[in-house]
Amino acid sequence: MTKDFDGDVLDPNYINLADNTCPTREQRANGINAFNGKASELVEKAKNGTLRNCERDFQQNSGCILNFYLTVRVATIRDAAMIIHAPVGCSAPAAIYREVFRRLYTAMNKPMDFDFHWLTTNIGEKDVIYGAADKLRFAIEEAERRYSPQAIFILTSCTSGIIGEDVEGVVNELAGKVKASLVPIHCEGIRSRIIQTGYDAFWHGILKYLVKPPTKRQDDMINVASMLSYTWQDRVEIARLLGKIGLRPNFIPEFAKVEDFETMSEAALTAPVCPTYTDYLSRGLEQEYKVPYFLYPSPIGIANTDEWLRTIGRMLHKEKEVEALILEERAHWVPKMDAIRRGFDKVKEANGGDFQVMGSLGQGRLVTQTPFFHELGVTTPVALCQDFDELLLEDVEHLLKRVGDFDIIVNTFQAAEVAHTARKYNPDMILSCPFQGSAYKREKGMTRIHALRGDGRKWSAQAGYAGAVACGSFLLQATHNMAFQNTMLAKTGDPYKEWWYQQPDPYFFHKKSDGREEAV
Amino acid sequence: MAPKKTTGKTNSKPKKKLKQIAIYGKGGIGKSTTTSNLSAALSDLGYKVMQFGCDPKADSTNTLRDGSYIPTILDLLREKGRVEAKDAIYEGYNGIYCVEAGGPSPGVGCAGRGIITAVQLLKQQNIYEELNLDYVIYDVLGDVVCGGFAVPIREGIAQHVFTVSSSDFMAIYAANNLFRGIQKYSNAGGALLGGVIANSVSSGYQKSIIDDFVLQTNTQVLQYVPRSITVTQSELGGKTTIEAAPDSEQAKIYRELAKRVEAHEVSTTPVPLDPLQLRAWANKWSDQILAVERGDVRSAGAQI
Repeated sequence: MTKDFDGDVLDPNYINLADNTCPTREQRANGINAFNGKASELVEKAKNGTLRNCERDFQQNSGCILNFYLTVRVATIRDAAMIIHAPVGCSAPAAIYREVFRRLYTAMNKPMDFDFHWLTTNIGEKDVIYGAADKLRFAIEEAERRYSPQAIFILTSCTSGIIGEDVEGVVNELAGKVKASLVPIHCEGIRSRIIQTGYDAFWHGILKYLVKPPTKRQDDMINVASMLSYTWQDRVEIARLLGKIGLRPNFIPEFAKVEDFETMSEAALTAPVCPTYTDYLSRGLEQEYKVPYFLYPSPIGIANTDEWLRTIGRMLHKEKEVEALILEERAHWVPKMDAIRRGFDKVKEANGGDFQVMGSLGQGRLVTQTPFFHELGVTTPVALCQDFDELLLEDVEHLLKRVGDFDIIVNTFQAAEVAHTARKYNPDMILSCPFQGSAYKREKGMTRIHALRGDGRKWSAQAGYAGAVACGSFLLQATHNMAFQNTMLAKTGDPYKEWWYQQPDPYFFHKKSDGREEAV
Repeated sequence: MAPKKTTGKTNSKPKKKLKQIAIYGKGGIGKSTTTSNLSAALSDLGYKVMQFGCDPKADSTNTLRDGSYIPTILDLLREKGRVEAKDAIYEGYNGIYCVEAGGPSPGVGCAGRGIITAVQLLKQQNIYEELNLDYVIYDVLGDVVCGGFAVPIREGIAQHVFTVSSSDFMAIYAANNLFRGIQKYSNAGGALLGGVIANSVSSGYQKSIIDDFVLQTNTQVLQYVPRSITVTQSELGGKTTIEAAPDSEQAKIYRELAKRVEAHEVSTTPVPLDPLQLRAWANKWSDQILAVERGDVRSAGAQI
């Protein structure tokens, strides 16, 4: 336990806004991105302090804390501009999201004024030698001239970090000279291997530079940090449910306006969609502005949506309204869920009595999706998890009590490891994360876990009651059509040799935690 | 068609062997003084010499040019998109070519990357061949703090490294760190160690300490250079000792150094001490010096 000079225990979750940025998830919550074992073992090791990350000797696909969905989130803020203070290549991975977001239509109430306002300083060799502060100054002024934004986000990179660029110096110099609020975000890729660090760094910048002290309380407003992998329809569903009890969501950060961040301090509550994503923001708003929050559960599945609403009801003294809402909603949606369950019963019967699902899950989904699978009557022999840290420890313990023990592979969705795991467990259905490693060539089922906001249609919903039914239907539908897998099998070869599948351990290419190389 | 037979004779002149030397050592230990006097002495021997300052403060070649500063490669690069190597080369004492890499303003950017860029710029433009040089001497900033400052010993740029060290522990510590860098690159075509230039060695125990250090690390002392007021006087006048006091004892010592560098052919991989070994070695000397001071022991080095 860390103590200060006076012997007072230092709270690892205290957010020091005098600092330029947040601690890493490794520092704050012992974050790891490699583990293979039982969920109960993971929890036990985390609790007794013996959980250690290990090194990969072979890695195919990954993202950095700048680019693993941070740039694409910041770029959606409508009346802001984003400057990536980096060589131009660091901007490239997010460019594809212009196409992804074009799949959302204004007919679905996507804001008309949405477009990317995005600049890169394109740091080159000379900038590395002499510093790139002049370019950053120019980029800020140019962003102001082109877009007249309310805020300019400055995202740092490995290169700006290595040369020790004084981003705050430039920000302090220009603050007041430009109209926009300047928000530096320290997401240098080399800082951390846990992508959540990038999100924490983003919220740190938001809390430090953008959130204003409240001028009034907005008792009907609830901050909801909607994660990218939930869909446009989820926003619609959450707004619908909250609306029925006289509340309204303040959705941040995607497609928000700068004012939505500035007024977060006035909200009645911060509610989660993804606990690990929202953690830093929720704690910060409570610490600085006394906005209460809760982190678990998320509104995924019927039971969790009930509990999510009940928690809001308890915290905002709307217990009666919430109970009435739950009754009304259940009457409408539970019969539909029952029909889906019956559909899965038939599938199970044809399948020998069971239907197993393996999903690529972020930490947030790990604690929300697994109970949802149980609601559908399908089982989860193994969960693939992007990364893991101790912020969710209690929730995973809670989950273990609810659904029993299961295997867990924390692996940043490494393609070779996913393929190996898919072969080993051979589940009836694999739910893959778009643009990440997965196993597409198989005789059994294969579909997506989500569509990264690239599909705004109703069937892609996941949150709330409507989402539970839509997601259940989607999954059931995927069991009926095997054309995709058949085509993949017929037309493409396996990328890995049989040797790979014969290895007993999907972590064959890992160094052991004590630095020892695993025998080859 | 039968392959054409070669006669073993070519029409081109035998290529002149360019000797590239890097001089490292702790900051303030006398690297630039030693390097400039070495350059001056080598040029007096009739060689064509270039001195390449690899320190952002860009004062390596001052005493070769009457105390004046020259525009650095990185100054020129900052102003222009492309730099002709010739624009960055200035003649100094006895026609010595003086170059300074330079660097960013203090506190910004990356000086290490600057050294890489500057060294590569000259290398790519084949300027050493064009100038028909005999010696290029790199005078490099104190410790090997990052990859940039290791460039002269990497990638086959310099062949020989000499380190300037006094008998002070911190100077020896820096020299040992340098040896670690040399060892690291020794199997990849990097420069090897020629030896130690023992600077400011005026008393017996100082000599003994250095002698023991080179013994432990499997290298040699190339030259002992005592502390001298002549050097101070010459530098205050903006000149090397070779130029300002050519007949002095100190100039003689620098000439000896030049002759030894001229004769030096084979460098080797040093055996650096690990931090614990170095600490134990230093403690042993601490006890010994105390004993000498008390008169308990007379050091062998006290005879010099």
